[in-house]
Amino acid sequence: MMRLLWMILLVGFLLPATLHAQPSLEQFFTQNCVKCHGPEKQKGEVRLDKPVAALFADEELLETIATVLEAGEMPPEDAPQPKAKAVAEVVRMLQKHILTQRPVNPLKRLTRAEYTNTMHDLFGMDFDFAGLLPLDHVEQGFDKFGEAHLMSPHQVMAYLKTARFIAERVLPDAKPKTRTWEFDVRHFHGSKNFATGGGGDYRDGDDYVLTGFRPYRSNLHFSIDPESHDQFVVPAFGLYRLEVKARSEKSKEGEVIGINLGDGRHPTSFRNIRRIPMPHGSKGFTTKLTLKAGDQLAFTFDSARVPGRSLVKKEHKGPAMRFSRLKVTGPLTEQWPTAAMEAILPKPNMKPLELVDHIALLLTQRPLEAEARQVFVEIARHQKESGGSMAATARSVLIALLTSPHFIYKAESPELADVERSHRLSYFLWNSAPDIELLNAAKSGALSKDPSAQVERMLKDAKSNRFIDDFTRQWLQRDKVDDFGPDVRVFKNVRRMTVESMGREGRELFRHMLENGLSMENFIDSDFVMVNDRLARFYELPAVEGDTFLPVKIPDKSERGGLVAQAGFLKLTSTDFATSPIHRGSWILKNLYNERIEPPADVLINEPDIRGTTTIREAILKHQQLESCSRCHSKIDPMGFALEYYDPVGRKRSEYRHVEELPVEREGTTFTKKLKFTKVPIDAAMKLPNGREVRDLPTLKAALMADKERILKGIIGKLISYAHGREVTRADRPHVDAIFESIAQQDFSLRAAIHAIVAHPAFGRK
Amino acid sequence: MVDCNQVVRGGIIKRRTFFKGAGVTLLLPCMESLGQVSEADSPRRLLTIVNHLSFYQPDLIPQADGTFGKTPPLLDELSDHFNYLKIFSGLDNPAVQNGFGHSPCVGILSGYFNKLHRKNRLSIDQAVADLIGDSTRFKSLVFQAGENLNFSQISWDKHGLPVKQIDSPSKIFNLLFQVNESEKTQQQVLAEDRSILDAVLAQAKSMEKRLNATDRAKMEEYLTSVREVEQTVKRRAYWADRVKPQVNYELEDFDRKSVDDYVGTLLDLAVLALETDSTRAVTVQIPFWEGFKERDLSGNYHDLSHHGQKPEKIEKLLRLEHRILKRINTTLNSMKQRTVGNSSLFDQTTTLLTASMGSANSHNFDDLPALVFDSRMKTAGHWQKKDVPMSNLYLGLLQLFGAELDRFGESTGAFEVLS
Repeated sequence: MMRLLWMILLVGFLLPATLHAQPSLEQFFTQNCVKCHGPEKQKGEVRLDKPVAALFADEELLETIATVLEAGEMPPEDAPQPKAKAVAEVVRMLQKHILTQRPVNPLKRLTRAEYTNTMHDLFGMDFDFAGLLPLDHVEQGFDKFGEAHLMSPHQVMAYLKTARFIAERVLPDAKPKTRTWEFDVRHFHGSKNFATGGGGDYRDGDDYVLTGFRPYRSNLHFSIDPESHDQFVVPAFGLYRLEVKARSEKSKEGEVIGINLGDGRHPTSFRNIRRIPMPHGSKGFTTKLTLKAGDQLAFTFDSARVPGRSLVKKEHKGPAMRFSRLKVTGPLTEQWPTAAMEAILPKPNMKPLELVDHIALLLTQRPLEAEARQVFVEIARHQKESGGSMAATARSVLIALLTSPHFIYKAESPELADVERSHRLSYFLWNSAPDIELLNAAKSGALSKDPSAQVERMLKDAKSNRFIDDFTRQWLQRDKVDDFGPDVRVFKNVRRMTVESMGREGRELFRHMLENGLSMENFIDSDFVMVNDRLARFYELPAVEGDTFLPVKIPDKSERGGLVAQAGFLKLTSTDFATSPIHRGSWILKNLYNERIEPPADVLINEPDIRGTTTIREAILKHQQLESCSRCHSKIDPMGFALEYYDPVGRKRSEYRHVEELPVEREGTTFTKKLKFTKVPIDAAMKLPNGREVRDLPTLKAALMADKERILKGIIGKLISYAHGREVTRADRPHVDAIFESIAQQDFSLRAAIHAIVAHPAFGRK
Repeated sequence: MVDCNQVVRGGIIKRRTFFKGAGVTLLLPCMESLGQVSEADSPRRLLTIVNHLSFYQPDLIPQADGTFGKTPPLLDELSDHFNYLKIFSGLDNPAVQNGFGHSPCVGILSGYFNKLHRKNRLSIDQAVADLIGDSTRFKSLVFQAGENLNFSQISWDKHGLPVKQIDSPSKIFNLLFQVNESEKTQQQVLAEDRSILDAVLAQAKSMEKRLNATDRAKMEEYLTSVREVEQTVKRRAYWADRVKPQVNYELEDFDRKSVDDYVGTLLDLAVLALETDSTRAVTVQIPFWEGFKERDLSGNYHDLSHHGQKPEKIEKLLRLEHRILKRINTTLNSMKQRTVGNSSLFDQTTTLLTASMGSANSHNFDDLPALVFDSRMKTAGHWQKKDVPMSNLYLGLLQLFGAELDRFGESTGAFEVLS
């Protein structure tokens, strides 16, 4: 070891000035780190007794070292501390090296959402590729990262099948015949009674009545033949109009009907496709849906109360939904030939080469490489020669091109060409391909000079809802809000639609801030919340009417406002009936601070022996005593514990309700699961590593506000990584800092942040 | 050709009575079709079963090394087959890192996991399928329950790319036994598929020239995938005109994913796929995650697996694990009852049962158990290991299947599985 050090010192002496710093790096590590991260001990599986060049080769390790030194997390409190100046110098050297590493942005392919939206915008059809295209892998929170886009034979096969599915539907051989079907109570079927009491569906005069919401059990389906239970099956792909006559009763508010696809008798295949709000007094609705051949429809009463599991059958007293008539018309063809057919085949007769060039350009606004055209032309020629119609020829070419890298991958040059830049922007703000106006702006050079006009136009377009929805879904994990429970035995009054509304709140806050140019500080704390009728009641705020989210000023006594006070966040970080301070704390670090935290590689989550602990706090503090965990948990735990005054569905509580499950009682074929509740006081106060005490939601929000700069930069980082399709690391600091500085004058407005991200030179680089 | 099908025994047998009967009633197809193993033949097969959430090992692994003496309660569920069972304990996957939640589970069959790169290495089931899968309709079939999550992929092809894991019993059933409406169109579609694959391959190559090194590697993945799909399409074209096997097996509808419903159905389908010689290598990943529940147990499987050493949680967890092993036992028994060619399905099949973690309570990826059932087993019993690569077992298995290899993944030697 000494010999090595001498060698390096010697080499350092001989090398030019830039490398002079390195031996002092080694010295620093030897003096301060190697005792625990060297030959004797390798805490966290980290060794720092390596030559600097070897350390520099490990980018991730380098980032970790810089981060822990900068935050004062290492060396640990009880070890001798290096001088602050020395630490600062080491961090500066590390950062300098990190900045020289140009982040790679590997080739990206279209995500399922991008693919679906692109097809919609090109051909005007609402495709649902759920059963066709595999789900995308999510890396560091987003599915847009090229790093994570692994190709496989299965994926290629899926592209091929999807392409055929699309081609056969956008280029049909004949105009589909529109038909109409009418159904009334004679054709309606439901799930009759639940196995246990608390509700049921039944026929009543001219109506069929739904009383409960269980997507798998309670639903209304219908058959053409009143005598048969064979469900109505959609005969052909296309757009269908549904006219439903239905009304709620025993309800003072708006209710919600769900339209599901799937076999109502064997409900495993159910998937929700649409929810229709039924304002108070509504007598029904008309809607249009794109359906596939073989699809089956069923209606559910989504805003019904979840029936309890009592064994005693009780008469239903709550709200009910009465269905009286249903009319289905379709497939609708508003114009023939369809817009898609005209787009793909603008002329009745096109030569193979002309056709290939046209479709290639239509799909990606980029021409095919000259040498690749011929193979596609061959496909067209072959189809034509074997007597295929123009439509059949175009179908073959379309399938081939939709399966090819030309369409699947997003081509990006090191310095983005104009069309590529318009693609990056439109897949950022529309999650889809650019339109003509954006393309023209790109081609004229206006986009690279000053993108603000296009960004404004795009944000005003309804297509920006896709960005708002997709970004907040992944950033805030809104789709996971309802992954657990709520256990109806513990949370008796939480209705399904309230939970559904919780999942929408984060998106609506983002939308409101974006539309009104509000400061991103509102993510940390705000004097208003976005609520609809259900959420306003749940938060005990002044009443709001209807399902649409509106800003409501928070009364003084309420602690709501900001992302960490949202019920959706509080619920998604909890299990069926217990809160999880660790999930809550690490969620804040990951999603607000944009920190990368993972359990260290050498730590088994050491079979935590939590017998004999009564509260979550005791259980967790026990594991926090393990040295290996404490580095991250000294930050995670205080933040999580401060939120203990909020229960697993996000309601304020003053004590724990400890839930214990009693042994299952069996009675014939029925099993009863009983619970025992005990009350335990809450102790939420804890100190953050910087010494600041947090003890409840308001003090936590104050602590987060004190960290405003770090959090806003964290959120900017999230936006950049979504826009660029790669992880934002320490190497991006100057980029993030520049965005942060440039919007300081505009009160850190979210809208300004998006403008600044697009205007930054890095947006035009791969 | 369809006419020569004969209904051996009419009527539909409910699934619950399926295994009680004296074996399956096949609608036997005729020459040149599936499900036709010549009477003199006895092909080798592999059934791989992986339990994602592992087993409670104190109740599975015998205390003593060597031939079975006193056996723990979980293992007792499999006592019908003790003469053919070798159980290995304390195995390790040195190239699978700890940490990162469930993600390293992707490496159970390949012995490799790298969190930075999603590509993996060849898994044992696919390595064997490459050896024995040429003459059947499917080279291999991989079943799993539940949606494909980041950590549920366990089967990897020779390029380290994920193999499709089918998650729906009805999809599996249709794939195996449903006849395509029109074989002629089918052939036309497959012919068109081939020319399309040629075209996209050419385009990918011309696009590749303009890419940097990282992106070229990405495009290589695409090219490799297309070439593999070409093979699959060829295979499909070959089998498209041949009669599919038919079975009197009715899929039961269930809205609750329990051991009997989900695991049972997947194992039934695995046996049917092997019995009809649709494939010779089947991999089944046992259900996991939140959706897996039993009606007389509160809590879900994943939650129970994090038992925190609480006795009441362990007790519930064990009830689930007992049920799973009981169901595997039933499957092995039914394989003994079915004759294909000149021997029973059990005689032809090597069954590997293993787990993605040592313990789901602590999320460790070492201390792995592996159970091998083989009718040719010479010495049955428990082989206690410590920090020996799982790949040594995999290499031993590969050699059993005739591979002339002296290395697989991280192997440091080969187990003599049978002796």
